[in-house]
Amino acid sequence: MDRASGRFCHMDTMTNWRERLIAKTTRPTLVTTYKYWLWLGFLIVIVGNGVFQYSKQWQNGLIVTDMRDRISWGLYISAFVFFIGISHAGTLISAILRVSKATWRAPITRVAEFITAVSLVVGAAFVLIDMGRPDRIFNVFRYGRWQSPIMWDVMAITTYLTASVIYLYAPMIPDLGLFRDRLVNKVGAIRNFLYRTLALNWYAAPPQVRFLGKAITIMMLIIMPIAVSVHTVVSWIFSMTLRAGWNTSIFGVLFVAGAIFSGVATLILVMAILRRIYHWEEYLTQKHFLYLGYLLAAFGAFMIYVNINEYLTEGFKIEEAGEFAFRQLFVEDFAVMFWFYIIGGLIGPIVLMLIPKTRTIAGVVVAAILVDIAMFLERYFIVVTGLRVPLMPYEPASYAPTFVEWSIFVAGLALFALLLTVAVKIFPMLAVWEMTEEHERRLAMGLGGEPHPLDDDGALSVATTNDGTGPERVDEGGAS
Amino acid sequence: MTGRRKHIAARICVSTLAISLALVVSAPAIAAEIGISVGAPVQVAIGQDVEVKAVLSQDGVPVEGAEVALTYQASWAGESSRVELATATTDEAGVAVMTYQQRADDNREMQVVYLGPDTEPVAPYVFTIAVEAGGEQLYVNQSGVEIPFVNGTLVILVIATVWFLIALAAVYLVRVGRAGRSLDAPIAEKGSMWISALLASAAVFTAIGMVIVFVRAPVSNTDVTDPDRYDRTPIVYLDGTYPYVGFGLQDESVAQTGDPVQDGSALYFKYGCAACHGIRGQGAAVGPTLRDELGSFGSFKEDVREGPRGMPGYEDVTISDENMQKIYQYLKDGG
Repeated sequence: MDRASGRFCHMDTMTNWRERLIAKTTRPTLVTTYKYWLWLGFLIVIVGNGVFQYSKQWQNGLIVTDMRDRISWGLYISAFVFFIGISHAGTLISAILRVSKATWRAPITRVAEFITAVSLVVGAAFVLIDMGRPDRIFNVFRYGRWQSPIMWDVMAITTYLTASVIYLYAPMIPDLGLFRDRLVNKVGAIRNFLYRTLALNWYAAPPQVRFLGKAITIMMLIIMPIAVSVHTVVSWIFSMTLRAGWNTSIFGVLFVAGAIFSGVATLILVMAILRRIYHWEEYLTQKHFLYLGYLLAAFGAFMIYVNINEYLTEGFKIEEAGEFAFRQLFVEDFAVMFWFYIIGGLIGPIVLMLIPKTRTIAGVVVAAILVDIAMFLERYFIVVTGLRVPLMPYEPASYAPTFVEWSIFVAGLALFALLLTVAVKIFPMLAVWEMTEEHERRLAMGLGGEPHPLDDDGALSVATTNDGTGPERVDEGGAS
Repeated sequence: MTGRRKHIAARICVSTLAISLALVVSAPAIAAEIGISVGAPVQVAIGQDVEVKAVLSQDGVPVEGAEVALTYQASWAGESSRVELATATTDEAGVAVMTYQQRADDNREMQVVYLGPDTEPVAPYVFTIAVEAGGEQLYVNQSGVEIPFVNGTLVILVIATVWFLIALAAVYLVRVGRAGRSLDAPIAEKGSMWISALLASAAVFTAIGMVIVFVRAPVSNTDVTDPDRYDRTPIVYLDGTYPYVGFGLQDESVAQTGDPVQDGSALYFKYGCAACHGIRGQGAAVGPTLRDELGSFGSFKEDVREGPRGMPGYEDVTISDENMQKIYQYLKDGG
């Protein structure tokens, strides 16, 4: 067969390539510089301050925030929506690209899946933080009623968190097996134990490959509807009310599109940082950034469309309360945020990707930063402006987050970074087996080492990783 | 001629006397008060249709064409008024039949009152109908469209399917571990598959828990279909079928009892102050408290006339100075 001969010809190159990849992947686990500890310490201080500020809130109640009866959701709920939003990075990149067999995804899936799991944990924490009586959290299960959209959210996020942990874990098992074998005498007892346990006796026996393939196939198919449902349900918390600005059927689309948009942006940022620190230039190439940049631009265009659709239909037949909502958003209190969101966050990435000079990694990173800031501001003004519209003829309330709120919000961002920082030291952040398999196929087909998205024979397969004599190719069989 | 005249005169006298006598005899009968007697069940259940018969008579003679009403005493927020449950007109036997559906869980002081056509006051007939404890909640949610097969069961099925697949994937991970254990592996520690078993059981556990929360949710709180689960509060149920007379606050006389605090209480409700400032002036979500921060009458009056912040101003055509003084007295008294 062509493939067999191809593999034979490139065997030496392949082995070298793979050893280099393994060395690069295990490097964060083996080498820890003082800069890492400085960064870790910095994050711990910020998270610690957040915990300290939260202890004040725990003692005194929500009076330490600026949330009151009229504007009862603020920075915390904005952060919740934002973090649940960026959790969509993992789903999109990993599941959609895996199902559509876009092979260029291989080096970025693992990072994306970690972002999903970590941001879900941080996002869910903000719901607890927003509670005035966190001791009553179990009443959700004791007295919860399914007529309430809040309960739908509890359901959707629990499902998504469970599913995305499994979806993160399953494709990582072969790489954990690799780490178990390669790092046995190089890391401490705790991590050795962790690899032994998590690797599930993996050494690529045919039944193992088959079962793992089935698990991954089930999860990649099911996680897409779950992910879409999660952010739709988050939007329903708002749009299931009759408030001006929230009472719209387009919120589900706006939130899901915005979630993927900010998720891709966050993925770009995390990838750029890891690439720089651990010198993964060979694997995370300019092309990956550009593809993600194009995705960003495409979603920016879609967001512009959704926004025009929303504000034109609402604004054309404007109602009494809607007028107030429009004025505060377009020309008054929130105009700066809103127009930054439209111009900087939605149009900006498109412009950056259109101009050849900015069509670089740096340009994509700038676009990602703009998008993340803009999407956070969007979450914030959706939450606050909706509550600010008076339901009775009273003065519109004002809301400005207090120091406690800012501290906890920043601590949330730091916790997100902290969890990723710790994960980098323990888990394989590059999907070695998927990348190896991809590279092998390129060589077999007589192409360069660089995979191209347009040629793919479409087979879903799992490469073995433990024997060190070069990868075996085992077709998954049955599940694809 | 004279004799004949005398005879006529005597006849007139006799007739006059007779008429006078008849008038004297019959006068007490006309003035006699209408009596009301009532036949009603002693005890009824909530939801039951109750028939109340009233018999009206005057001096043993049935009163036909009289209008009567069945009322009971309802109270809310310290205000109390009679609520009319049914009206009827008496037939030739003097009987008026009134039916109502028992909705309140307590009938305070029922009465059958005479409404007309006579304007003479008639003493109402006072009686009680006891209400059995418990009973069925009568509120039925009538909004919404029932679509066949699209209901809670479908949602449970969808959730159960999703969680079944998640658990299935986790079970496959258990099988990955088992398959590895059965092979001769030099490095892998045998039997280390508990993490996947943990994952699988956590998924199954969460799945079952979620479905349980869903299934038991309707009975966990405020179930309107199960009276044992529903904590009934004394609520007066009123709708279009039962004309609500109200507390009579529009009637000028309720605020002219002579007691300014009593009058102020009625006026405080009449002008809707309670809607924002709470039913005792203690303050609520919209209006601030009127108890502690109540200044002089002058400043109070100025505020009411102008309407500070979001509050509407009340001109003197709406609230006279005199009535405002009464409201002020009521609030000064502690609300």
